[in-house]
Amino acid sequence: MRRLNQAMSTLTGRELILLAACVAITIAFASASPVFATPENAATIMRNSVELLLIGLGMTLLLAMGGIDVSIGVVMGLAAIAVGRALGADLDPALATVIGPLTGALLGLVTAAVVVLGRIPAIVGTLGLLGIYRTAIFVVLGGQWLSGLPTSLTEILGASLAGVPLSFWMIALAYLAVWLALRRTSFGLHLLAIGNSEEKARLAGISVIKVRFAAFIISGMLAGLAATFYVATYRNVEMSTGSTLALDAIAAVVMGGTSILGGRCSLIGTVLGVLLLRILQNGLLLIGVPSLWQTVVTGGLLIAVLSLEVLAGRLSFSKLGWAGR
Amino acid sequence: MSRLRSLHGPALVLAILAALWVVVLGGLFVLKPTALSVATVTTVLQFSTILALAALGQALVILAGGAGIDLSVGGSVSLSAILAMLALKAGMPPVLLPVACIVAGLLLGLFNGLLVTRLAILPLIATLGTFFAYSGLALALTGGAPQPGVPQWLLPWGRGTMGGVPLPFVSAALPAFVLAGIVLVFTAWGRWIYAMGFNERSARLVGIPVDRTRLILYGLSGMLAGVAALVSLAWFGSGRPNIGQNLELESLTAAMLGGIAIFGGRGGVGGVLAAVVLLVTLKTGLLQLNVNTVWQVGIVGALLIFVLLADRLSHRWR
Repeated sequence: MRRLNQAMSTLTGRELILLAACVAITIAFASASPVFATPENAATIMRNSVELLLIGLGMTLLLAMGGIDVSIGVVMGLAAIAVGRALGADLDPALATVIGPLTGALLGLVTAAVVVLGRIPAIVGTLGLLGIYRTAIFVVLGGQWLSGLPTSLTEILGASLAGVPLSFWMIALAYLAVWLALRRTSFGLHLLAIGNSEEKARLAGISVIKVRFAAFIISGMLAGLAATFYVATYRNVEMSTGSTLALDAIAAVVMGGTSILGGRCSLIGTVLGVLLLRILQNGLLLIGVPSLWQTVVTGGLLIAVLSLEVLAGRLSFSKLGWAGR
Repeated sequence: MSRLRSLHGPALVLAILAALWVVVLGGLFVLKPTALSVATVTTVLQFSTILALAALGQALVILAGGAGIDLSVGGSVSLSAILAMLALKAGMPPVLLPVACIVAGLLLGLFNGLLVTRLAILPLIATLGTFFAYSGLALALTGGAPQPGVPQWLLPWGRGTMGGVPLPFVSAALPAFVLAGIVLVFTAWGRWIYAMGFNERSARLVGIPVDRTRLILYGLSGMLAGVAALVSLAWFGSGRPNIGQNLELESLTAAMLGGIAIFGGRGGVGGVLAAVVLLVTLKTGLLQLNVNTVWQVGIVGALLIFVLLADRLSHRWR
């Protein structure tokens, strides 16, 4: 019991509210749909949360820094094509697991070059990149699906270590790595300092360009890792792969208590935000709401959370400025 | 050459855009000589009308600074068209269709404005949220199906031409730009917009009602989206739930290409109209050359980044 108390006390008010919301909608959906509260459906929700969780971790870093990346979902799509092509070419599957993060990191580097070196607001720069990447996906895929990929990757990630699937360990490792980078290194401290005030961070001698580059590359790498899981699970890639992930990630991260003005973030909040979003989407689908409503719900949720946050007096009026700078 | 060098500001923007336009036309002429005709001009202007209206709203919102941006323009166009058609279906007199369209757009824009001014939510995130909410609603309310039943009397306006120039362009886009240009240059209210964008703090200190002006501008952007929606209804004869697709990217590119500074306070609307015509000419040309439409979004995206990079570099070298 004391353990539990301790665990609870490390959560902030925001995270407790999210946890309560998760429990509340779970109970609501369980009573509305007989299929919802089954082990199979719980597994489905977990499965559907993997890519969003990984991308959400990267988005947390970006938003905490006062950045954003609306192209990240399509970056995952491109990385998924790279992984799929590698598998299709009978590359050693162990090597194929590296292809995804590598492609992601490379695309993250491109994003950083445009946004950081070009000094373009992140929202505008990544919107432009989103357009370019969408065309790139079409060109690379040639208008066709990449399907029927070998199961080799699936087998590797499905293998279990100490009775738990390897994929779970990898996600836990990714979370731990991001947490350590954010909370236990000077990189994390500098990142939050830049989010608070880029000008002050620069005056304090922080190498702003390096830190911002690193954040975009890490975010891209996480999207690449997400692509690896995506290919392992679905074994196909289509034109629209990942197209809704950027909005979902931004909504989940903002719900989790990371400030869009930068300087404040919560990784646990992001995890809970991802779960809440995926439970909500799954539950709505099960009680018969058409899937077309999903973007409406996500967009509406984003606006509602931000509005409530302001009404609760949590955002200061003085910090207005380009989040992309 | 020296005269070219002495060009600056809006004149330089227009000169560059005109040169680019000639390059695009020249390229098209070389690749497909038959594509250049009066009919092509009509097509380009017809397609330009919707983008021009959306880009004008976008330009005004960006011009006023405060990190202003309206990512929801495309969603607003789609949803205004769909809401007006659904109202018609629910028994609204057809005469009111144009009004319904424009009012719907105005309300959607004002909602953005309230989020940005009253709640002080960053425009990029507020309008990103409403972009998905609006465009999602347009799809969800219709199940993705076009809504037929636009009254017949509206079609001659949407499809007619006057001396090769489409009526919606003459009667909606052009007046909107002329009016905006006059207001920006010759009225105090227009100068307020520049002042806000140039230095918001000073603007507040000299007593400019910054928040109210900004709220009106977001409302205006929505209203222009509503007019664009009306143009689409009168042109296609039905409400398409995805009519505003990619407009956020295209309007932003047109505004940047037209010389509006991304941080506000600098630029004029003449350049924006020229940029719209250039963009649409490029798109139409690609279409004539049978290039897949997926290429359009990539090229527009690349253009957006290129313009902003060029702007940065020109400042560094100056």
